Amino acid sequence: MSKDNESKRFDRGRLRAALELYDNSPCGSISFQDDGLITDLNSTLSNWLGYDKKELIHIRTLPSLFKIGGQIFFETHFFPLIKMQGFIKEVYFDIVRKDKSILHCLINVREIQATGNQPTNYQGTILDISDRWQYEAEILKAKRKAEADSKAKADFLATISHEIRTPLNSILGIGNLLHQTPLNENQKEYARLLLHSSEHLLSLVNNLLDLSKIEANKIQLEQKPFNLYDLADVLKHTFSVKAQQKSIDLHLNLDERVPQNLLGDPVKLKQVLTNLVGNAIKFTKEGHVSISITLVKEYKKSVLLLFEVTDTGIGIPEEKLEAIFHEFSQASYDVSVEFGGTGLGLTISKKILELHKSNLNVSSSLNSGSTFSFNIRYKKYGRELDEEEKVSAASRSDNFKNINVLVVDDNPDNIFIAAQYLEQWNINYMTADSGYSAISLCETTDFDVILLDLQMPKMNGYETAQEIRKRKTEKKPTIVAFSASAKGEVQQQLLKAGIDDYLPKPFQPQHLYETLVKYQNIDEPKQLSNISDQEKLVENKSKKPKFKSKKKPAVSASFSLTRYKKMAKNKPEYLRKFRLSTLDALISYQKDFKKAIKKRDIEQLSNLIHTSTMSLYYIQADNLSELLKECRTLLRSTPINEQSLSTSIEECNEEFKKIIEGLKKE
Amino acid sequence: MNNSLSAEIFKKFNVKVLGEGIQPMMFAHGYGCDQNMWRFVYPHFEKQYKIILFDYIGGGKSDIDSYSKEKYSSLQAYADDVISICTGLNLTNVIFVGHSVSAMIGVLASNKKPSLFSHLIMIGPSPRYINDSEYIGGFENEAIEELMEALDSNYLGWSASMAPVIMGNSDRPELGDELTNSFCQTDPEVAKNFARVTFLSDNREDLQNVITPTLVLQCSQDVIAPVVVGDYVAKNIKNSEYKLLNATGHCPNLSAPEETVSAIQEYLQKKEHV
Repeated sequence: MSKDNESKRFDRGRLRAALELYDNSPCGSISFQDDGLITDLNSTLSNWLGYDKKELIHIRTLPSLFKIGGQIFFETHFFPLIKMQGFIKEVYFDIVRKDKSILHCLINVREIQATGNQPTNYQGTILDISDRWQYEAEILKAKRKAEADSKAKADFLATISHEIRTPLNSILGIGNLLHQTPLNENQKEYARLLLHSSEHLLSLVNNLLDLSKIEANKIQLEQKPFNLYDLADVLKHTFSVKAQQKSIDLHLNLDERVPQNLLGDPVKLKQVLTNLVGNAIKFTKEGHVSISITLVKEYKKSVLLLFEVTDTGIGIPEEKLEAIFHEFSQASYDVSVEFGGTGLGLTISKKILELHKSNLNVSSSLNSGSTFSFNIRYKKYGRELDEEEKVSAASRSDNFKNINVLVVDDNPDNIFIAAQYLEQWNINYMTADSGYSAISLCETTDFDVILLDLQMPKMNGYETAQEIRKRKTEKKPTIVAFSASAKGEVQQQLLKAGIDDYLPKPFQPQHLYETLVKYQNIDEPKQLSNISDQEKLVENKSKKPKFKSKKKPAVSASFSLTRYKKMAKNKPEYLRKFRLSTLDALISYQKDFKKAIKKRDIEQLSNLIHTSTMSLYYIQADNLSELLKECRTLLRSTPINEQSLSTSIEECNEEFKKIIEGLKKE
Repeated sequence: MNNSLSAEIFKKFNVKVLGEGIQPMMFAHGYGCDQNMWRFVYPHFEKQYKIILFDYIGGGKSDIDSYSKEKYSSLQAYADDVISICTGLNLTNVIFVGHSVSAMIGVLASNKKPSLFSHLIMIGPSPRYINDSEYIGGFENEAIEELMEALDSNYLGWSASMAPVIMGNSDRPELGDELTNSFCQTDPEVAKNFARVTFLSDNREDLQNVITPTLVLQCSQDVIAPVVVGDYVAKNIKNSEYKLLNATGHCPNLSAPEETVSAIQEYLQKKEHV
């Protein structure tokens, strides 16, 4: 009897302890119903919130304690999820306390299914994460500030480097001219020093630009087929003169097992190797420099290669090995005085390798030499290579080179479109969205042909061409301008800017191809017939009336996707890209049109006509194109015929609308 | 019907076709969720109807590559997608069941192509969420701004906080793999844009043009779409019926599926016998 009482007392004690724990546990606890109405909460939570329990229980709903954003989130996301999976874990909410201050918390909820006459109930646990929230906010703030600062620094660096380069080029040019005038011995030496120093300065500035671009994440790796053997040969050839001058032997050891053709970014690889080999020669007074490329491991579709550049130069003291990778640091100040250099080459190389998910290793012993090495995994370029090989074998007799084309245009549509053609024709190309980036690409890569848009913001095509011509590049690229302006207007300026040829915009693919052929000694008739065959093939395929039937006549008169379909090679993802990018472009064109019209700005309208030419051409929006020109003519006439103008504007907007609607629907 | 076209539509909108009936019944999810939110409702209609489930572009398992911020800057684009699903799948005489924002998407779709639809069933509709002089939408302008800020600053943790919830489901294995990983997953950027488009929309004028017979299902307490708003919708659609549910909250299809189902069944049966 007394034992029974004892155990009852014991149970009551446990129950009290449990309730005590519930009420005063270190986390908030809350129960609520389907409609969110609070049915219970523990003291911890009521203390946190500053409410008396009586003010909440059966009076307020849980979401009513949230800020409005949280309420919407609760209704549209949180509650549906609880209903679907029966629980929800650690979702962040701001709870508004009685005094209107905010409690930052995570909420866990479990659904307790209805039993008997007990309706469904929800049991929530609330964790106060104010401290964590504070830390997170601080960290986030610090991170954002650091990123903004770093970006500002990189931008500043890029701007200032560019600004410095312009006068520097003049100094170099004038130095060259000065050097060619009759000078006495002293003056000759001064001029030589002047030239030498300004060249040095230019390379420093160029490196700075590279670095700032890498830091601003503006550099991405390309994936294109390249011949590693050719690349290595060219590299050796480039440095052989320098090596000879210093009486250093330059060796190239290429592991036979290394495949010739790979898929990757040859430009970046060349940049790293150029840096390392250049350094090796610079710091070596006697002996040899060797470049070796060996196969580490062969995978099914790729290979892991080891690149090593070894020299018998001055070496690097052990304690400086870390420092050489940092910006602006060479092993010592004396090194910089004796050997020159910017100290940026290794930093840039290291960062390029980081992009390849690799790193730069160095081993060195003082006064006996250094070895710099790195691994890169490249995809093998197998099956397609056969065709390539055939082509190059066939044209080798015709002095066929791999053409390297640069496309420069501020309109991404135009770039994309030109790129599609170049890809179809298996031509290596790179792209630049401004004159500035075109110029810096020219620093690191030799191009055979540069396709240059004349009308670009900030630095136009003429200025870009002039800048490129000022550079002393190994190859002299052919610069072909493409522009929507009439040919006669610009002929003089083209000559003056050093532009070799001209392609009216919008260009027909045939014209682009012919131009490339003209400047690259490609086996012309054969290649051209290939292209036209290809086009015919595509045309035939796209003639299937796959989409035609559902098009309304009014829409098909405004535009057509036939050209895109042809170019997209019947690949729906290409076509979709074309369509969506054109749709976005058209929407912004219409905005620009409305702006230009509102301000009656003829120049702005002309610019619009220029930028939209390509897009309109490709979707065959001839009506709109004509109407825009008509608007411009009407604006130009004095006095302006207001009635015709407003009709014409209305027609333009109508066309815009039709095309935009149509593109959305396609 | 072009097979490749319909295959494309199935993929693009993650379309599921179920049920044994002939007349199509299309369920359109609301903001913040995907077709999963109909799981307690559609099975009740499978015997009698052809059930069409889908995800809007950007939601659930739809084709995210088809999303363009410019294109989906108005509800009309979503309505056009509804139409393209109907035409792509050769559906006519469609009963369109739209939850939340989908109610207005249904309005826009049926106004553009009335011939496709037989009935609109709206669950928690709102033609405008923000109060406007005489009109009560339930939200002040500032509230919407606050929501936008909240979405922008990501403080609700769209992805980070939700991911473990969605992924970590070991204590409810009966839900199955397919469901556990896909509940209401929405790309955070798309979610923000969709929130903007939804909560800043104003479709009051479009209500007058609805000719499709409509059922408005209104919840008793709904922060998102209060009772006055449901009232307004029903009054402004000529051929409409209004039913106030006992269910509370914004998602009666989840919190009170039985009541929701029987309200819809009742309405459709009545319409059949007329």
